[in-house]
Amino acid sequence: MLRLCIAVCVFAAFALGQEFKFTIGSPVASQDFQMKSAAFVFRTEGCAEPAKSQIGATAEGLVKGARRSVALKVTAVASKPGVYAVFQAWPAEGDWVVSLKGACAGANAGAVIPIGAKGFVRESSKFFPRPATDSEIDAALKALAQGENK
Amino acid sequence: MFTRHVWRQLAAHIDGELSPQKAGQVERHEAQCAECRAEREQIGFGMEMLDHLPPVEPPDAIWTSIESALQEHRRPKRSAAWRLESRPFESNPWRWAFAATFVLAVAGAAYWTLARHAGTRWDVVRIDGAPVVNQKAIRGEGRIGAGEWIETDSGSRATVKVGEIGSVEVEPNTRLRVVTARPGEHRLALARGEIRAKISAPPRLFFVDTASGTAVDLGCEYTLDADKDGSGLLRVTKGWVSFQWKGTGWKDLESLVPAGASCRLHPSVGPGIPYFDDAPESLKQALDAFSFERAGFGFDKAAYGALDVVLAEARVRDTLTLWHLLSRVQNEDRARVYDRIASLTPVPQGVSREQALKLDPETLRRWKDELAWTW
Repeated sequence: MLRLCIAVCVFAAFALGQEFKFTIGSPVASQDFQMKSAAFVFRTEGCAEPAKSQIGATAEGLVKGARRSVALKVTAVASKPGVYAVFQAWPAEGDWVVSLKGACAGANAGAVIPIGAKGFVRESSKFFPRPATDSEIDAALKALAQGENK
Repeated sequence: MFTRHVWRQLAAHIDGELSPQKAGQVERHEAQCAECRAEREQIGFGMEMLDHLPPVEPPDAIWTSIESALQEHRRPKRSAAWRLESRPFESNPWRWAFAATFVLAVAGAAYWTLARHAGTRWDVVRIDGAPVVNQKAIRGEGRIGAGEWIETDSGSRATVKVGEIGSVEVEPNTRLRVVTARPGEHRLALARGEIRAKISAPPRLFFVDTASGTAVDLGCEYTLDADKDGSGLLRVTKGWVSFQWKGTGWKDLESLVPAGASCRLHPSVGPGIPYFDDAPESLKQALDAFSFERAGFGFDKAAYGALDVVLAEARVRDTLTLWHLLSRVQNEDRARVYDRIASLTPVPQGVSREQALKLDPETLRRWKDELAWTW
């Protein structure tokens, strides 16, 4: 009986609390013309105070077999708190993914967004309740290089 | 039958001063003569600009001088001394100076008003062949202003620099007019052909009019292709475009076309239903069965089958198409469209089925804002 009560309480806590996570979209989702050239836009969900969240992004690439990393500037959409844009600052050569990481009130979130020839590949993007690990990034790059996600 | 141009009759024709027989002759000639049609547009533009001139009241002094001149003309000849005293302009050259200054001021005000309304002139760069700007072929660079046309044949192309906000590439076999060239409004009219626009500016500064409606730039790059009758295709490669049409007898139509999507255009029904270029072919073909035959409303049995295909083939991303369909189908079909969208992606808070089926504007806007994250 006690175990049942504990299980119910834990379940209720999860059900009532919204998970901190990312959602990605094309620039039209931002409804801000200044973002029209962005590689993609994303928003945070499950963060009570988006303005206080800490967001970062890096471009992780494989260029002629060599691993490369480029720090990216994340641009906040002024009219929409919690919405951000990522502009391409990585070279055209090679295969690239964008790794997002965020923190809000002790909760973390991460995502790996493959970048194909026609832009970000939504179907192959992966989301985590923490920053992506190096092995997860490498796996995404490998799949991209093999043409699985282009 | 006219065998010569009718330039001299155009102004009278515009003012409705020709007899019905003469007017008919002018119209028949214009139908076959591109030069006279172009001249008519220039005259019409000039007359429209004159309507914008502010009325200016002349000072009383000018009437006094006119009356004096008339009286002198009627008076019999007198002695030289008397003549010198009674001809105020000859004895007082300052009156001539005042009159001349006044005339120059009026002319300057008229020129300034015309220039302000006409706007600036944009640079035109020849890319291939010999594009024609305002009936003159350009070799390297030229300029084009409000009311003027640029035309390309099968072997020519040009780039028009649209003020400070971007550029438009004019493809072969295209006829394009600059309607307005002002900092607050950059407007073109595409009569036929194809243009590629690249605009970097706040929304609603760049417009392209066609027979099917107006493309309103919301920060984008796109290709707009139009036939002589206004049929065409809008394809957006970056950003998004709102294509608006003021219907007659029908409610106004607006289609939001984001990057990666296209929208067919038709002169009698305005913008079609947008679709992503990577949508299933069967979905795109089914969309073609809508609207162009029935003005977008009241589908017949053939179109009813097409709706089944669209609903069945739609992916999550095709909620772009389904959202636009909501306001273009009848009630019973609208519920099917709503249910299909709801099955593809969760309906957000604040969007009720009842309000959506009533096409409540705020509900539809809220739903579109959320669906855009899947486009």
